[in-house]
Amino acid sequence: MIASLHDFCPASSLLSVLTTMRPEGMRGERRGREGHREAETRVPRCCRNLVLHPSDMLSRLVFVSASALKSSGPIGAGVVHASRCLHTSSQSLAPVPPLPEKGGKVRHGFIPEELFQLLYPKTGVTGPYMLGAGLLLYMLSKEIYVINHETFAAASIGAVIIYGVKKFGPSVAAFADKLNEEKVAKAQEVKDVAMSSLAQAIEDEKKEQWRVEGRAMLFDAKRNNVAMLLETNYRERVHMVTNEVKRRLDYQIALQDLNRRLEQEHMINWVEKSVISSITPQQEKESIAKCITDLKVLAKATQAKATA
Amino acid sequence: MAGRRVALKAIDWVAFAERVPPNQRGMFNALKTRSDGISAKLASLPEKPVAIDWNFYRSAVAKAGMVDEFEKKFKALQIPEPTDTQTSTINAQEAEANKSAQAYTEGSKARIAQYEEELAKFKNMIPFDQMTIEDLNSVFPETKLDKVKHPYWPHKPIAEL
Repeated sequence: MIASLHDFCPASSLLSVLTTMRPEGMRGERRGREGHREAETRVPRCCRNLVLHPSDMLSRLVFVSASALKSSGPIGAGVVHASRCLHTSSQSLAPVPPLPEKGGKVRHGFIPEELFQLLYPKTGVTGPYMLGAGLLLYMLSKEIYVINHETFAAASIGAVIIYGVKKFGPSVAAFADKLNEEKVAKAQEVKDVAMSSLAQAIEDEKKEQWRVEGRAMLFDAKRNNVAMLLETNYRERVHMVTNEVKRRLDYQIALQDLNRRLEQEHMINWVEKSVISSITPQQEKESIAKCITDLKVLAKATQAKATA
Repeated sequence: MAGRRVALKAIDWVAFAERVPPNQRGMFNALKTRSDGISAKLASLPEKPVAIDWNFYRSAVAKAGMVDEFEKKFKALQIPEPTDTQTSTINAQEAEANKSAQAYTEGSKARIAQYEEELAKFKNMIPFDQMTIEDLNSVFPETKLDKVKHPYWPHKPIAEL
């Protein structure tokens, strides 16, 4: 147990204080899949299970040095914290499960909750506090930790830092989260737009295929047009023939009628002319005199009728 | 004389109009007006010609034998049906169109397959919150920062930040 306590050396505990400022900062980064990827030398926060690792410290040293050698992976502007969970079994999970949202629970900012749980069965609630007080007292009394002017400097700085973190921590965290959210939202939007446009494109292609299927109708229409034109032409020809024949027959009839009329008129004129020429002047005088006497008689008759 | 009746096939202009893409609408309208004009012309002509009353003419026309001769010749007359020069062209056009339609459909199917592939890629993507930058680069290759061209941070031209 003590060995596991030493895992959280003071330096790392301070780091975990800082990281609790942004507990959900790690959420966005998933640990890499492959083995020893690039790694900043951060605390392996996912070591939830504090099973005794005999080779813990050593393996971490190896790990750190290996990462220092191999830091050739892409390091984006959005810092990749890809320190790996130390494998607890010989098999590795693939894909590696995502990181927990929040860091491990801590009390007073830097003491992990697991310690309290560990000691609870034996020493109850106050056990770890006693332990802490005892350790502190031991270090002070035996002068393992010497109080000097730097102690007060450290205390003041610590106070200021803690005050700053407590006051401004959440707002800064929220701001940083908002930045991240915006990035993710943008990417999500790109993805959504791409998906919808692809779906639309598929729909359009299907529609175009359906349109293409209707091409037979065009050719049917064309053939129909051709047939109609031919039929029209044929009918026109038939009609033309009939009409022409009719016209010729009618012409004959008209010709006949014309001849008859001409003959008639000619004959009438000839008869008239001959009659008129046969009237002699003597006959003309006589007929005029007769007309005059007839008229006189008629006039007398009408006069008598009128008075009577 | 009217044995060509059966050649006409009923065309559903409404269904046809549905299938016309918007950029060919003008051509379709022209075709329709032309077809309508032709069919109207056809409908205006009676199928059978006006019958000639031979007996009347026989009695009316004085010339002997003329009417009979006309009648005989008229009855014996065979009006040739006009030759169809275009149907073969149309059939050839249709065959060609079928071929090109086939090719287009093939291309369209290939495009659809490609789109579906990309769509599947997007669907099967891991959610953004669980991605690393490497995952992002593998899904969207354009986000990969060119460390060779711009060896110093931010690995892209300042204008693009």
